[in-house]
Amino acid sequence: MKPLRITQQGIVFSIFVVLFAGFAVFLPGFLTTSNMLTLLQNVAVLGILGLAMAIVVIGRGIDLSLIAALAVPPGVVLQLVQDGHSLSYALLLAALLTLAFGLVNGWLIAYAEVPSLFATLASGLFLAGLGQAALFKLDVVQWSPGLEGFEGLGQGAVLGIPMPIVMFVGACIVVAIFLRRTRFGAFIYAIGDNPFAARSSGIPTRPLIVLQYVLAALIGMLAGLVLAASVNSMPTRIYNSTLIYDVILVVVLGGIGLAGGRGGVLNVVIGTLLIGTMLNAMTIMDVSYSGQNLVKGVVLLAAVIADSFLNPRNEETAQQGDI
Amino acid sequence: MTTPILELRQATKLYGGVPAIEGVDFSLAEGEIHALVGENGAGKSTLTKVMAGVVSLSSGTMLIAGREIAPRTPLEARQLGVAMVFQENSLVPSMTVAQNLFLGQEKFYNRLRGIYIAAQQFLQSLNFDVTPTATVAQLGAAKKQMVEIARAVLHEAKVIIFDEPTASLTPEEKKYFFDLVRELKRRGVSVIFISHALEEALLISDRITVLRDGRHVVTDATANFDRARVIQAMVGRDLSKTLYAERKAHVRPPGERVLTIENLRMAPMVKNNSLSVFAGQVTGVFGLVGSGRTETFKIAAGILKRDFFHGGEIVLRGRPIRYLTPAPAVRDGIAYVTEDRKVEGFFETMSIARNVYIGLLAKLGRRRPLVLAREAEAVGKKWIDALNVRAIGQDVKVVELSGGNQQKIVIAKSLVQEPTLIVFDEPTRGVDVGAIAEIHQLIDRLAEEGNAVVMISSYLPEIMARSDRILVCRQGKVVEEFSARDATEEKIMYAAIH
Repeated sequence: MKPLRITQQGIVFSIFVVLFAGFAVFLPGFLTTSNMLTLLQNVAVLGILGLAMAIVVIGRGIDLSLIAALAVPPGVVLQLVQDGHSLSYALLLAALLTLAFGLVNGWLIAYAEVPSLFATLASGLFLAGLGQAALFKLDVVQWSPGLEGFEGLGQGAVLGIPMPIVMFVGACIVVAIFLRRTRFGAFIYAIGDNPFAARSSGIPTRPLIVLQYVLAALIGMLAGLVLAASVNSMPTRIYNSTLIYDVILVVVLGGIGLAGGRGGVLNVVIGTLLIGTMLNAMTIMDVSYSGQNLVKGVVLLAAVIADSFLNPRNEETAQQGDI
Repeated sequence: MTTPILELRQATKLYGGVPAIEGVDFSLAEGEIHALVGENGAGKSTLTKVMAGVVSLSSGTMLIAGREIAPRTPLEARQLGVAMVFQENSLVPSMTVAQNLFLGQEKFYNRLRGIYIAAQQFLQSLNFDVTPTATVAQLGAAKKQMVEIARAVLHEAKVIIFDEPTASLTPEEKKYFFDLVRELKRRGVSVIFISHALEEALLISDRITVLRDGRHVVTDATANFDRARVIQAMVGRDLSKTLYAERKAHVRPPGERVLTIENLRMAPMVKNNSLSVFAGQVTGVFGLVGSGRTETFKIAAGILKRDFFHGGEIVLRGRPIRYLTPAPAVRDGIAYVTEDRKVEGFFETMSIARNVYIGLLAKLGRRRPLVLAREAEAVGKKWIDALNVRAIGQDVKVVELSGGNQQKIVIAKSLVQEPTLIVFDEPTRGVDVGAIAEIHQLIDRLAEEGNAVVMISSYLPEIMARSDRILVCRQGKVVEEFSARDATEEKIMYAAIH
């Protein structure tokens, strides 16, 4: 019989279940349909970003430029429409910008062999700076009448389910199929697990790394569009916020190891749900913003420490089992 | 009889339930040179790793100077006076000799001049000809070993363990190394010496212990041994006799010329290397570490790149090739089975079946856009059966398997790509004896089926027993070629080191 392995994913999920049950019983107003929808709606954008980050992290990389991809291309859409262009033209141009951005990221990392941490840190700063300096007239790109109908992406509903949740679920399904059912997905796991073995097995590792960053950027743009449509503007200063840390929190908390090759969409969902539940409950309990950060930090550390105790990376120590 | 300085009683170490050593008794007297011999996978390395605190015993006891104690880390072992000089040495290449000597014992204010003077005096007292200010990366293998030994002596080691110390040394360096070992003995240090080279063991040691399949066979004074008795103790069983038969019954004739390499260069490892590989036979490639044999075939498989200018020619079935990545080489039917499976062999988070399936996907490429779960399962099952991988099920992760089974998975991952030129690099390194026989049979079968098979090995009996043609590499090129009919161990060794 195989011994029961306690995974980080399992721990986080049980923490989520315990917290959720606790709040449901002890926190009035938590377990209502409207609050549940609010909870999900608040974390939908975060969850979509988590999916983008997951693709890159599974391939043993990290993408710190995600927030730039979230802020700038949708900002460009709003700006172009404001300047009198049609919505479809604006969307096309923004998508091309995002594509180019992902390609540059991927090229830097795969071909120029810049570590992903530095490459995306720099490229994100560049894109955000470019947007603020050259593309947008105001830091918050305002809504304009030409966007009529577009707000449905953030404010509409399908069968009573708010659109951001629908988009998150849709993105989950698409990314899950990509990672688990396609050859490219299998190769990304292989690269994240052991890049040397992947390369010598004949996997085209470099093009696949580029693909990861292109996909991440495009999913980031989708998240940005959903965000812009729900708040009727694009606050491009979001780049200076701590959102990127929340994204990493979701991914790591969900159990997608930064070492690569582990985890999947389910982990993003679990991470997102836990964060969503915590944030929602803390908001109901009226915990201050700094207090919320404190709790998030403690939870993340606890999850990472639990993981390194339960799943020691070193094979030698794993065999000894004395850690 | 005095108390032995180091003693093991009924020592057993299990790796994933498989014993690497089982119920071994071993004792080391003060100031003796004790040789430890045995076949690959006999448990020599595991036994010494236990003593050096690298791994801990599953059961059994260890005594140092009569006191029961088990070091849990190499540092603890060192503090107890047991130091190990590894095959891959553990020096910091970017630091100087003196810095390496005093590594970990630096004073709070680390004055370089001070440690250079101390190192100079110390090295002179040992009569070692090493410059303390030289960077370790610049030193040759023998000098690096001297630094390792000096460090062990400096740490007042009472027991020094050498794992294959002479494998990468030239004959002159070997002679010097033996003088060093005798000097250590004179100082009252006990030495454990692992070696494949029996002559060395017979020459230098006071006592010899023979291990076989993780068990203790015999320990006796060297004077009571001769080469024949050691080999008899090492081999012991029929399986080993068939494994490394003295000579092949028949030599397969060369078929079509599959691979031709001419004047291949990759600074600094490969220098004007030229060789050919033919279909339908096993080409054995022998050479010491650093002879450029691995690099040559990694270039052919697209894993490494040759020099851009004057890099030489590689011709595959009459067609010149220059791969930038391994992917096109895989499509052209070249497979390279790595010597270092942990680093570049398998995917540790994946199941056995998925590991093999990744190989198939990489070969099929565009023809298989979607992952077919049923196909993955079938392919996994097929290769587990074909290579007789012993695992509880195909969902088991590869890290959980024994070395031999891991190696079979790495081989399956390549064979699923239907290669016609297969390069095995040290195919039986760290593989248990039973699996060695199976891997050897597989190598023979692949050659019988008409494939061109290359087997790189630094273990002479393996080369002798499996090859139809033997190429010997030295300093970046093939220097000699033998037919298996007229090769002898002495001839091959002579070509490899002179």
